Amino acid sequence: MTMQVDRPVAGERGTPPAAGTPSRPSWRSRLYAFEGRSAPYAFIAPFFLVFFAFGLFPLVYTAWISLHSYRLGGRMRWIGFDNYVWLFSNPSFYNSLWKTITIGILSTVPQLLLALGLAHLLNYRLRGRTFLRVAMLMPYATSVAAATLVFALIFGRDGGIVNGLLGVVGIEPVDWRNGNWTAQIAISVIVIWHWTGYNALIYLAGMQSISKDLYEAAAIDGANRWEQFLHVTIPGLRPTIMFTIIVSTIGASQLFGEPLLFGGGQPNGGSVNQYQTVGLFMYQQGWQYSQLGRAATVAWVMFILIIGLVLLNSWLARRRRPATEGTLS
Amino acid sequence: MTTVDVHHISASLAPPSPKRGRGRPQDAAGWLTYGILTVTTLLFVAPFYYMIVAASRPMSEMNTFPPPLVPGGDLFSNIGTAIHQQNIGLALWNSLVVSTVVTVSTVLFCTLAGFAFGKLRFRGRNLLFAITLGTMMIPPSLSVVPLYSVMAELGLAGTLSSVILPSLCAAFGVFFMRQYLIQALPDELLEAARVDGATTLRTFWSIVLPIARPGAAVLGMLTFMTAWNDFFWPIITLNSSNPTVQVALNNLGSGYVPDTAVIMAGTLIGTLPVLVVFVLLGRQIVGGIMAGAVKG
Amino acid sequence: MQTPRRTAVVLAAAVMSGVLVLSACGGSGGSSTDTAASGGPVELTVGLFGTFGYDEVGLFKEYESQNPGVTIKYESTQGEDKYWPALQTRLASGSGVADVQGIEVARISDVVTNQPDQWTDLRDTPAADAISRYIGWKEPAATTPDGAVLGLGTDIGPMGICYRSDLLQQAGLPTDPAALSAEMPDWNAFLALGERFKASAPAGTSWHDSAGGLYNAIVSQQKEIYYGQSGDLVFDSNPAVRSAFDTAARAGQSGLTAKLEQFVDPGWDQGFSSGSFATIACPSWMIGYIKGKAGDGGSGKWNVTSLPGGAGGNWGGAYLGIPQASQHKDEAAKLIAWLTAPEQQARVFREVGNFPSTTQAIASVTDTTDPYFNNAPIGKIFSDSAQNAPVQILGPQDGVIKNAMVQALLSVETTGAAPDTAWNTAVGNVKNQVG
Repeated sequence: MTMQVDRPVAGERGTPPAAGTPSRPSWRSRLYAFEGRSAPYAFIAPFFLVFFAFGLFPLVYTAWISLHSYRLGGRMRWIGFDNYVWLFSNPSFYNSLWKTITIGILSTVPQLLLALGLAHLLNYRLRGRTFLRVAMLMPYATSVAAATLVFALIFGRDGGIVNGLLGVVGIEPVDWRNGNWTAQIAISVIVIWHWTGYNALIYLAGMQSISKDLYEAAAIDGANRWEQFLHVTIPGLRPTIMFTIIVSTIGASQLFGEPLLFGGGQPNGGSVNQYQTVGLFMYQQGWQYSQLGRAATVAWVMFILIIGLVLLNSWLARRRRPATEGTLS
Repeated sequence: MTTVDVHHISASLAPPSPKRGRGRPQDAAGWLTYGILTVTTLLFVAPFYYMIVAASRPMSEMNTFPPPLVPGGDLFSNIGTAIHQQNIGLALWNSLVVSTVVTVSTVLFCTLAGFAFGKLRFRGRNLLFAITLGTMMIPPSLSVVPLYSVMAELGLAGTLSSVILPSLCAAFGVFFMRQYLIQALPDELLEAARVDGATTLRTFWSIVLPIARPGAAVLGMLTFMTAWNDFFWPIITLNSSNPTVQVALNNLGSGYVPDTAVIMAGTLIGTLPVLVVFVLLGRQIVGGIMAGAVKG
Repeated sequence: MQTPRRTAVVLAAAVMSGVLVLSACGGSGGSSTDTAASGGPVELTVGLFGTFGYDEVGLFKEYESQNPGVTIKYESTQGEDKYWPALQTRLASGSGVADVQGIEVARISDVVTNQPDQWTDLRDTPAADAISRYIGWKEPAATTPDGAVLGLGTDIGPMGICYRSDLLQQAGLPTDPAALSAEMPDWNAFLALGERFKASAPAGTSWHDSAGGLYNAIVSQQKEIYYGQSGDLVFDSNPAVRSAFDTAARAGQSGLTAKLEQFVDPGWDQGFSSGSFATIACPSWMIGYIKGKAGDGGSGKWNVTSLPGGAGGNWGGAYLGIPQASQHKDEAAKLIAWLTAPEQQARVFREVGNFPSTTQAIASVTDTTDPYFNNAPIGKIFSDSAQNAPVQILGPQDGVIKNAMVQALLSVETTGAAPDTAWNTAVGNVKNQVG
């Protein structure tokens, strides 16, 4: 069997396969070429069909709504860009933007680092590995509602377990919910608890698809475990890490279930909006105040901001490693 | 035209010795590793324990200070109350239907699209992929109003189809499978298949799918749980006479006095099936990951 | 070579059709249009939130047996905050609404102002006769400027003060409802009692639950709160609002409140049994809430008296309306007229605790006492409060403004914000939102 490796990407086929008569391109070979060209589109078609019907239409319609004054249950009234003017002159919006960033950092960075470390540990030969992996994913199997309900009790001021433990060490009870940073930390803990095991499993799957030869080569070069982790595992995981960073960034930017339920279903995000994320701010406009036009405006601004963020992310990633295959295009 | 034996190709491309697979050579874990993992596991599981405590006592006992830390004796009566209040049986069945269909279709469609985006070259790929990523950024809580109009227009509002259809293939899954396949699928395999004249679909079926299996298993599990726990849209479109588990849980508790114990008991029975499935299949999934890792 | 792709197409089609078949098996929501109009059998759908008590008392079954041919399909969403957006989404799309829908009192002004064309004018239905049987303010609130009546009242939420007699006794304060009431002719006296309580109260116990709750109780006695007679916004110039805000802020600053946000902080729920607070301004429906949260151990500890000075106030309550999209308006109107009739209201009050809103039903429950609350005369206390409550001017943005005020008071309690600053923040937030 011959192998040509100089053209690594499949899918582009102008020429027929080796067999057959090369002088006269048969209908078969043309069909084959056609299949090669059209298959990618057929493969992505189901996704885009679903997306057009249930993703794109709502998205475009949302843009349209954002140009109207539209109360849920009322009629739409055209007001041009008034909603955008309202939004950009509203201190509450900037507050929510800022809180989204701080809670995003507080929850995403420890979460991914913890997940990476856990995946590394889980990658050892372990007794009861299945049990451990199942346990790691249990939080993910829990609904946000249940998790938040439990954590709201755990972080209670008067009878919460956290304050109970702090009391053992001699620290005064903390009013987690009503403090500025304390509330953000409590919410971040919920997010971290919920997602760390999930990310660890994804890292683990990635780690196990890194070629063993690389480790052995590194070991021969005298690299210790830590150096192997740094120089083999991390680069090998690059696409996976990119994936988790982007998904977590998007997740963090849309964070709303946890702060909403931590606030007992109230979208205020605390007495001074100390944990009102943009998602919560939008939810408040749309579902508490029934201002769908304004909510749509927040959604679109948020949408554009996240696209910018992701582009920036991938641009940075590409600039760092220009040759790496598999970073975001 | 030559007959193509893709199995043969993939077998010939596999690493020389089945023992020399992928993943770091597995050292046995030391006591420190076990220690850290045990503590982490306890932290991860503790809230579940607390959920059981809260579900097994009358609400007023959970409201005392200091709160109790061991389960009480009301677990079954609270579960009974929850089941009596809401149609949990139907809800479990509905959730099973929704989650299963969504999982099967997501895994299939997302692997197809992820393969195309990750490994095939075609005009407009980058643009289309950027759009795919863009769809992840649509805040789900907003598009429900237009989405409901679409469903009402199709006559599907209130049906399980209205929950299933928008989730048939998520951008997240496409992205996930793309990243997985970029990493796990060697270009040489595809090239060899191409040289042998396999069609793209044939290649997908015989080469990509087997290699994608570990990633697809993870995606499937994650999708199942996400679909099971999804509540924002189902609450809008479904009603309490034909609920999913999350819709039913949302309606638990009675009157102006939401009964925390009953809500917790309901949450427990709503979460248990996923955990059971997960514990049962977890072995398979982990096995799948290992098998995939060895086979390459 | 086409075959494999066809396989994929077939497979995809199979998955898709599987979706439809499976979901059909799961049973689809029934609509109200399955049966023909007058005379024949009718299925009425009823969509409510929380507990109206009808299902619990068995009223739907009773109505079905009294009216052969009518079947009632009832569904309930627990949280009003989820119920209302879902209902609005369905109203906007024109499908999926029930024949009878519940409307919370805080939404009624929005319904009257912004969606009169979505709801049926009950004057043109068999429910027309029922409109006149309510206490003063209940039906005017559901009436448009043109006189269309869009909902029939169910319950109301007259206010009182619930208190822990055991804690008051420990602090040397009177525990008898009448004696306590005599010591608090107004809110300042109420706070003065609080200072006396604080001086000798058990540790970890505050006088009142929250500044927001206190504020809410004080403004609930006002006729004009956030809107003036002509429907204009007066919240920032209304001295009654500012004075209620300042009183509540003062209580928060001087440590008379437990700083527990109502319905949000789990500590608030715990407080009913743990005794973090000795008093709370309570509408009638909170009686049931306290029993649930404090449990059997709270029996005999809690008690009820009137608002300071015997004033009347209202918090909460609901209406039943018929969406325009209903196919069975007449049948639905007969049903809601029966459900809200005095006899049924009185039964719901006795079994579930929702306070009646028709004058006849209120009169019939005035002698009710509650053993859990030391046999307090709750019927008398709440019906007096209902009779004394003013005809409030409600407005579509009441919820937004109240939310901002309560939030600002929480910041005074918990972050030590100065009352003036908090007030300005609240007013700024409201203007941003409403203006």
